[in-house]
Amino acid sequence: MALSRRTGRSRLTLVLLVLTSITALTLDYRDSSVVSTLRDGAAKVFNPVRNGADHVVGPIGDAWNGLWHYSDVRKENERLREQLDAARGQAAQNQDAAQQLKALSELDQIQQWTALPGVDARIVAGPLTNFEHTLELDKGASSGIQPGMPVVTGAGLVGRVVEVHDQRSVVKLLSDPDVVVGIRLLSSQETGLMHGTGDGQPLVIDEGIGPKVVVPPNDLVTTSGDDRAVYPPNIPIGVVSKTALSGDQLRQVITVEPLADLSSLTFVKILLWLPAP
Amino acid sequence: MKTIRFALAVFTVVVVQTSLVADVSIAGAYGDIVMLVPIAAGIQHGRDDGAIAGFVAGLALDLVVHGTPVGFFALGYTLTGYVVGMSKATVLRAAWWIPVLTALAGSALGVVVLGLLAKMLGLEGFLDLHLLTVAAVVAVLNSVLVLPMLRVVRWALPAETRGRLAAA
Repeated sequence: MALSRRTGRSRLTLVLLVLTSITALTLDYRDSSVVSTLRDGAAKVFNPVRNGADHVVGPIGDAWNGLWHYSDVRKENERLREQLDAARGQAAQNQDAAQQLKALSELDQIQQWTALPGVDARIVAGPLTNFEHTLELDKGASSGIQPGMPVVTGAGLVGRVVEVHDQRSVVKLLSDPDVVVGIRLLSSQETGLMHGTGDGQPLVIDEGIGPKVVVPPNDLVTTSGDDRAVYPPNIPIGVVSKTALSGDQLRQVITVEPLADLSSLTFVKILLWLPAP
Repeated sequence: MKTIRFALAVFTVVVVQTSLVADVSIAGAYGDIVMLVPIAAGIQHGRDDGAIAGFVAGLALDLVVHGTPVGFFALGYTLTGYVVGMSKATVLRAAWWIPVLTALAGSALGVVVLGLLAKMLGLEGFLDLHLLTVAAVVAVLNSVLVLPMLRVVRWALPAETRGRLAAA
């Protein structure tokens, strides 16, 4: 009898906790101010403690990663040297083209994304759990950053600011399957929609590109910048690595390798640009 | 007093998770020592305290992370703590390795629960083969750390508070 009472109370406790969690989830999905106030309060208490802890335990993590990823780092170093040599040669060739492009852009009053003002920021934390595709930056509202601003590296687009605190901001990466980007293919100028497929995975364009459009391998993919786009136009994103027809044969499914290495970012630039309301 | 101790323990574990554990990846997966709080509470005190400890620890983590909605970890850890706590009534815990094995299985289960929850909530890209790597990494790390975590839970929730966490 006592056992069954205890079991009943346990179940009641479980049900109450589950219902409370579901209520919290519902409030968060409805963008309730209660949840954002709680999160802001937690950030104010937690971030200073975490900053201190990062200084103390950071070297331990670095030592661990250095120990286990030493051979990867050496290989990457060699690869980067080769890429740097190739990039130096390419840069020399591109100087002339860049000058011509600048002159044409000025004539047509087209604003290049590289000319947009931006804030350089350092990545202070990657995903904190196994269920996130976010990065945390060391710059926030005090540097003029607002939710919705695009985040780039020298290679191209990496994501978008989704949360801003006074001294920190959070970026959702392109690899997040929830992030959708309007894109343009360089060779055909066709536009479509692209989304991520998870950490370390390629990006996928699966809407907007018809079956008859010719998509050459290594074709450059940039942001489309169409009306109501959430990114400025012409930011490089990646290159086409594979194409296939969708199951219904009505569109192409294009796999894109991002130009920026989303798994090992250190510094990024936040473009001080917001989409039109 | 016990509420303060427990809050302090959860706060410390969340700081260690976000400052150290999240910095160290093994095969692209990170450890999850916050999950160890409900597992240890479940092993030590049973399903009620396992579930409540899971809710509190999960909610604390929810308020700190950015990529998941508030309530995601609270719900996942509540279920994990409750299920692990059920083993207290059925397992004879005379040997030191029983909590180790329980933490191993409980952690793997917890990761799967979180993966399923993510899918149900529309968080894509988590319920795939990589989840097996995540489950293995979290399970092994937590089985190594469960004995010290049990000491922390005994300090934060002494035996006389058993079943009283809800009332505190």
